[in-house]
Amino acid sequence: MTMVKALFYLMGFITLASALFVAASKNLVRSVFMFFVTLLSLAGLYVLALADFVAITQIVIYVGGILVLVLFAFMLSGKETLANLQQQNDRFISISKLPALLLAVLFFIVMVNILFKTDINNLQWVNKAVSYKIDIKPDSPMTSNIGTNLMTTYLLPFEAISILLMMALVGAAHLSRKEKNG
Amino acid sequence: MNFYIKYLIIAVGLFAFSGFFALFGVYAERKVSAFIQDRLGPTETGKFGLLQTIADVIKLLIKESIIPAAADKLLFMLAPAIIFIAVYMGFAAIPWAPGIAPSNLNLGLYYIFAILSVETLGILMAGWGSNNKYSILGAMRSAAQIISYEIPAGFAIIAVIMIAQTMNLQTISAQQGILSSEKASFLGIWDVSHQGGILAWNIFRAPHLIIAFVIYFIASLAESNRAPFDIPEAESELVAGFHTEFTGMRFAFVFLAEYSMMFLVSMVAVILFLGAWNTPLPNIGSVHLADWTTGAAWGIFWTVLKVLALVGVQMWIRWTLPRLRVDQLMNLCWKVLTPLAFACMLVSGIWRLWVM
Repeated sequence: MTMVKALFYLMGFITLASALFVAASKNLVRSVFMFFVTLLSLAGLYVLALADFVAITQIVIYVGGILVLVLFAFMLSGKETLANLQQQNDRFISISKLPALLLAVLFFIVMVNILFKTDINNLQWVNKAVSYKIDIKPDSPMTSNIGTNLMTTYLLPFEAISILLMMALVGAAHLSRKEKNG
Repeated sequence: MNFYIKYLIIAVGLFAFSGFFALFGVYAERKVSAFIQDRLGPTETGKFGLLQTIADVIKLLIKESIIPAAADKLLFMLAPAIIFIAVYMGFAAIPWAPGIAPSNLNLGLYYIFAILSVETLGILMAGWGSNNKYSILGAMRSAAQIISYEIPAGFAIIAVIMIAQTMNLQTISAQQGILSSEKASFLGIWDVSHQGGILAWNIFRAPHLIIAFVIYFIASLAESNRAPFDIPEAESELVAGFHTEFTGMRFAFVFLAEYSMMFLVSMVAVILFLGAWNTPLPNIGSVHLADWTTGAAWGIFWTVLKVLALVGVQMWIRWTLPRLRVDQLMNLCWKVLTPLAFACMLVSGIWRLWVM
């Protein structure tokens, strides 16, 4: 087994195990900290898939931003609120878990379906990229590639997302503002 | 196998270095504070008190490490390690001299920016794990401060990236001296590719980066929780902030992280703005000062010298300025530094397109 393969299995295992802990643990704060491990090993998997920019962006946004915000919410909410949240009934199947179960099973079916339908060693879009000589090698510059594509092929989605973010920012500013005569 | 042994030695070496730096950083801090406040500082242990911090470390090592009964034990024990490892991992991408860098990453700058944000998580972990009101308040203040100041720091960094057109720290370093493969010009008008020296540093290649440098330096003080931005550990209100409950070895790790952080942020500032490992001496006519003082050993010398100078300024500021109140802190960040950093980014774009 090569080094890369060993690392892939190691990080895959850590991702799955820590994600299971996040879902199953009754201590909410600990599961948030465990989610950090999940995100970090997921970033490792992105690096193995030659997406180093995505891997680092994931750490900046999820670890530096979202996880910290979630923890802020916990710290501001106090012990009693948390205790209420942590009360679960122990039965494995109950009516309150039905939507989640349904979603998980359906998603699993889709994934298994894709796994059986595709021919992984002979993907059409990979072959096309190789024949046009635009496939990405381990040492090719990733960031400039992403930048060029964002500013040419994917300009419209990029701008649409920035407008969406702008709307969210304006909304947040409006919500947190003190009304003078309200 | 040699490959792995080499990286193991580098990792151990960096760890030893950060420990060594923390030891003498604490000593220097005491002497600087003593000088500023007209005291003597440590004098008894060793010549000029040089062994004082070593004695302190021995004291810390043999102290009982107490875990509060109400603490979340796992989080409490892991927190100092995470705080330190986040800072320590930042050292992996930093270049020391031409050709000498632990890891020559394409995305080095972005990597450091990302890995430093993990420290916030460690601080929150310490605050929550201690199960103590002062610790939680300190951790929340610290996280709020670090997240806010990441924005002006990030935009100051982007201003440099736009000038340098790369995030590879080794390339950014090489651009600011005589080893540059492209044209470097002083203030955008005078071609100094062959003179090098201080004239080719980023802050003089594009003068608006002086403002970006000041913004980054202020933000980096806030990110390493140093005075005047030390409300997370304000002694008069919060005992010691997020590390109130830590004793012995764990406290030592929190301290180690703080001093390594000071060194790391100064090193990033030196690489981005102050010419990295390039010499400040330019070639003048037939006196090739820049050629004579460039090389691996000189590189390490200049880096360390510049970084220590910046760390000295950090200490000087800590013992000179009073602590900022929390609303002043946020005002400074959002109403002064952030708009200025945006302006720097804009000027960088114009400079790159029409001047360089």
